Amino acid sequence: MLAIFRNLLAPPRDLILIVAAAWFGLSLAEKRAARYHVDAEVLNNLIFTGLLAYIIGGRLFYAAEHISAFAQSPLSLISLNITLSDSWGALAAAIITGLAYAQRKGLSLWSALDALTLFFAALAVGLGFSHLASGAAFGQEASLPWAINLWGAMRHPTQIYEIIASFLTLGLFWFRKADSKPGSDFLLFAALTAASRLIIEAFRGDSTLIFGDLRVAQLVAWGILAIALLALEFLRPKIAPIIVNEPEEEILPIKTESKKAKSSVTKPKRNNLKTKKKSTKTSKA
Amino acid sequence: MQPIQRRAVYAILLLAGLVWIFLSADKTGASTAGRIPAPQKGFLAPEISLSTPKGEKYTLSELKGKAVLVNLWATWCPPCRAEMPTIEKIYGEYKDKGLVVLGINTTSQDSPLDIAPFLTQYGITFPILLDEVGSVAHRYDLRSLPSSYFIKRDGTINDVVIGGPMSEALLRTQIEEILK
Repeated sequence: MLAIFRNLLAPPRDLILIVAAAWFGLSLAEKRAARYHVDAEVLNNLIFTGLLAYIIGGRLFYAAEHISAFAQSPLSLISLNITLSDSWGALAAAIITGLAYAQRKGLSLWSALDALTLFFAALAVGLGFSHLASGAAFGQEASLPWAINLWGAMRHPTQIYEIIASFLTLGLFWFRKADSKPGSDFLLFAALTAASRLIIEAFRGDSTLIFGDLRVAQLVAWGILAIALLALEFLRPKIAPIIVNEPEEEILPIKTESKKAKSSVTKPKRNNLKTKKKSTKTSKA
Repeated sequence: MQPIQRRAVYAILLLAGLVWIFLSADKTGASTAGRIPAPQKGFLAPEISLSTPKGEKYTLSELKGKAVLVNLWATWCPPCRAEMPTIEKIYGEYKDKGLVVLGINTTSQDSPLDIAPFLTQYGITFPILLDEVGSVAHRYDLRSLPSSYFIKRDGTINDVVIGGPMSEALLRTQIEEILK
């Protein structure tokens, strides 16, 4: 089964999985956009702008890093080789462009990030499947009943762990009820993703090490987890709630007023209703 | 949950994360993949021992100390044909700096009679090896043509490019990396 999957979707066909996940995530995010008071079309454009910036920015950053190679063959700038991309440069370009677009459209940062959470969660699932198809992000050698034969040894199926964790995260956000506090969905997603990476990285066989034997990805994931939890705890209450355009109502100090005062305040409301009904009747006549 | 309780949970989570980082530290060097052969970045390049159409034998392990580009191709594969002139051009530029290019024809899935005219048509000067029984295709887990493996002087794979055609800039950047 796994062999068939890997044969069918071996690189470069594994990219189909990421594209499919992005499309699925985009559809989910569009459907839920209204929940975060974000226009679905604006969100759609935001994602496309970001993806375009990711592709172009990644290529330009890579070309800047290898300027002599591109100076000798400038046409390589438009080649279809996806290897010619700097992932950090691509990410920076996507973030900057996304922020600029969001600002131009008057989108609240936290609302936009919340609306994008399902897109990110679906993309993470696609990335896991892509890793499984290509054999990237492989695990350490292991003698477990569920170990998979990969790169000349039986290994932890870290790509499957990654898919399970991503599916659980996606499911959580799919069934999660709307939280009125802006930023909470995105921060929770960041915390969960960081936590799962922190755990799964321990079983990876391709970790980059630092300080002798510590895994860089785990340290980065721990940092993101700490920031996300701190932000959830301390930043969230300070963020202004989403302003919903509803008709202004008079706030009544019910608890502090006596019963007498309450009745005196509510009476005019009833009168207002009556007058409204009367006016509609007259207009009909 | 009260804010104090929540903060305590967060603190415990972060502390547990730190403990996990130290517990799962790679003390045995299990994450270094360069000791066993596999067609993947960071691993030792699987052995190649094949002959050219003229009978000249090449063995990858004997090329240790040189940067090697292994390119698996077939005459019927359009991207393979498209990238051949670029590989030839780059080979001409870098062969004096220690670059060896091994063009491995997947003869088990190609027509042997087409190979010689192909080499003449593209003016190929780097060694072309014939994988007649598909042993290298099997060892390199070949799933798409062309497939290129950039092998460092120490025999480990620096990068793998599946599919093509490879652009000139891609070849230059990858080759400059393995020549370091």
